Amino acid sequence: MSVDYDELSVGYEFPVASYELDAALVSRYLKAVDSRGDDHVPPLAVAARALAAMAGWLSLPGGTIHASQEFEFFKLVSVGSTVECRARVTRKLARGGMRMLILQLDVFDQTKERVQSGKATIILPA
Amino acid sequence: MAADTGEGKSVAPIVRHITQEKINLYAEASGDFNPIHVDETFAAGTPLGGTIAHGMLLLAYASEMMAQAFGRKWDSGGKLSARFKRPARPGDTATVTGKVDSIKEENGTWCASCSFECRNQNDEAIVVGEAVVALPESEE
Repeated sequence: MSVDYDELSVGYEFPVASYELDAALVSRYLKAVDSRGDDHVPPLAVAARALAAMAGWLSLPGGTIHASQEFEFFKLVSVGSTVECRARVTRKLARGGMRMLILQLDVFDQTKERVQSGKATIILPA
Repeated sequence: MAADTGEGKSVAPIVRHITQEKINLYAEASGDFNPIHVDETFAAGTPLGGTIAHGMLLLAYASEMMAQAFGRKWDSGGKLSARFKRPARPGDTATVTGKVDSIKEENGTWCASCSFECRNQNDEAIVVGEAVVALPESEE
């Protein structure tokens, strides 16, 4: 079930998403970004899955823009690892013809250590 | 790893040609199948007039540039902040360039603060941002 902008409030937590970063997925990612890679998962591949997992819970109208993105990487993730992504709304703003959401993402490995954190700013049409 | 990452130095650039095939592969790898990226018929009917690359695909190029320059210090200690300025489309060539703006000590670790830009073949900025990375400890 997805939620739309009106149903979201600051502090809203999306369902926890767990996903495996297997060799096939990493291989597709490396082909897409024209990179060689090594024995660990590129941090932006981890981030891309985390963002997509969160976006899967959001019902966003056409014209929605991913305006900005921040990341901080803490730990390498080995190919084949399973990670867990937690996401929540940290800011919600409606002003004039603009609606904005700021979403915080935190990704953890199987030992519950934080792998990376990120902040996505999304602008929705009014 | 780049040998020279001193203040004011440029980071070796990354150049990538964007194709619909790569966008589709990125969608499969990321799980982001938004039709604006992968459905050419749908995208043609939107104000954008056609498919566009995922912003995160472009950010991946910037991250790769930093990884090539700073190695694993980037992948397990880097910070990135980026604004998406305009869409990139199949057929575009994206060039990511970066520069070390300053080197400062933070909590006992020397860190390089870099600015980066991703521009298309018309020299239009697609993504701009900043990155911070710890520098490897030098041997005495």
